[in-house]
Amino acid sequence: MTGQAFFVLTALADGPRHGYGIVREVTELSEGRVKLKIGSLYGVLDRLATDGLIEPDRDEAHDGRLRRYYRLTRDGRSELAAEADLRAATARVVWARLTLPGTEAAG
Amino acid sequence: MSGDLERRYRRVLRLLPGYYRRQWEEDMVAAFLDSALTGDPDEDEFSTEYGRPDWPEIASVGCLAARLYLGGAGTPRRYFVWGQAVRGTVLAVTLAHAVWGLGQFVLLGASRYQIGWLLPQPAAAGTWRTVSYLMGYTWVVAFLALALGYYRVARVIAALVIAAELAVVLRGQLTGALPPFASWPYWILLDLAPVLAMAAFHRDAPPPARRPWLVALPASYLLVSVPLLAAEMTGLSAWVPDTPGLCCILAGLLCLVHVPRARSSRAGTGVWSLTLVLLAAVAALYKITWLAVYLQGPRSSSHLIAVGLAELLILAVAATLVAPDAARAQAAMPAPPRPQLG
Repeated sequence: MTGQAFFVLTALADGPRHGYGIVREVTELSEGRVKLKIGSLYGVLDRLATDGLIEPDRDEAHDGRLRRYYRLTRDGRSELAAEADLRAATARVVWARLTLPGTEAAG
Repeated sequence: MSGDLERRYRRVLRLLPGYYRRQWEEDMVAAFLDSALTGDPDEDEFSTEYGRPDWPEIASVGCLAARLYLGGAGTPRRYFVWGQAVRGTVLAVTLAHAVWGLGQFVLLGASRYQIGWLLPQPAAAGTWRTVSYLMGYTWVVAFLALALGYYRVARVIAALVIAAELAVVLRGQLTGALPPFASWPYWILLDLAPVLAMAAFHRDAPPPARRPWLVALPASYLLVSVPLLAAEMTGLSAWVPDTPGLCCILAGLLCLVHVPRARSSRAGTGVWSLTLVLLAAVAALYKITWLAVYLQGPRSSSHLIAVGLAELLILAVAATLVAPDAARAQAAMPAPPRPQLG
């Protein structure tokens, strides 16, 4: 899973969001490191929808335009949890290596 | 709120295929305007009237368009066929570069006592020739990376190679010593275009069949380069075609070999047919620019031009035989179902 897809799924984990809402949430979650452009966002949304990980939730009128909200599917939630576990496990391994006494002398 | 900003963004979205726009355009416009407008009436009025999508925004739509037109999994069949054909063509052009590089490497190995191992000695060659040799070797690495699925590595290496080749072309222009093969048309057709077309190797693209492409490198060297080298060394050089002519002959032969499959009722031949038509087009353009050199340069010769025209004619006939199958592949195959959003 790419970093962008991971952040988009995470942005939808606590409830449905519309396109720009996802962009803002991803920027906040990544502390400004990931700033999605609209073309990039819809490339990711299209791929996630094709894979069945997200689906449309509802349309809401705002300022004369319709905003479409997206939500995680059951598969999307499972996939996100599995990816989070994988990343956490990887991080634990890295930290274990970094904090191991005498590792700088190894190898 | 709508206005010129929205109209300009919709114009950018025209880069995307129609099926994709029908599904996503309204949503993209809403998200874009949300991102562009601040909620301050005065500021928003100004932005709506005079604002434009910035270049990174346009680039993101352009990249999305490239990924969709050169489709992978989940795109309509027509775009998938185009994507596969462009990927095949890029691999074939990169293979041609790699075969040339492999040939240079073997020649250098064979004559190491004269010009050194791996690199020619500065006294014998100089920096620019060294760069030229290095570029040849590097295409081999780029081809292997592409065939093995390391797309980003291949793109970076190929970009470095064409930057070096651009330097050779620029130097040739500045010093007035530009050889015909290092001029702009060749750089654009054989270096820049394939590297740009490497955008077709994206995440959704199915990986290339490794074994046939990996075997193709030594096989092409042994079956094409070695016999031609042998012919030149045994005094038969008059029978050896120039490089663009060789490309025309090979592309024409591949088309002719493919004709029985293309004319059979077997499904799945269309991708190869379109790939061969694209390869034939590249070879034809290469030959045409070469003929222009013959016409203008001191090497002008009616014999060489007649041979070149004959090669082009054979290539055109061969490509015409597989072209109907390439057209059928796009028209007849239905689009796979896509998930319905809303």
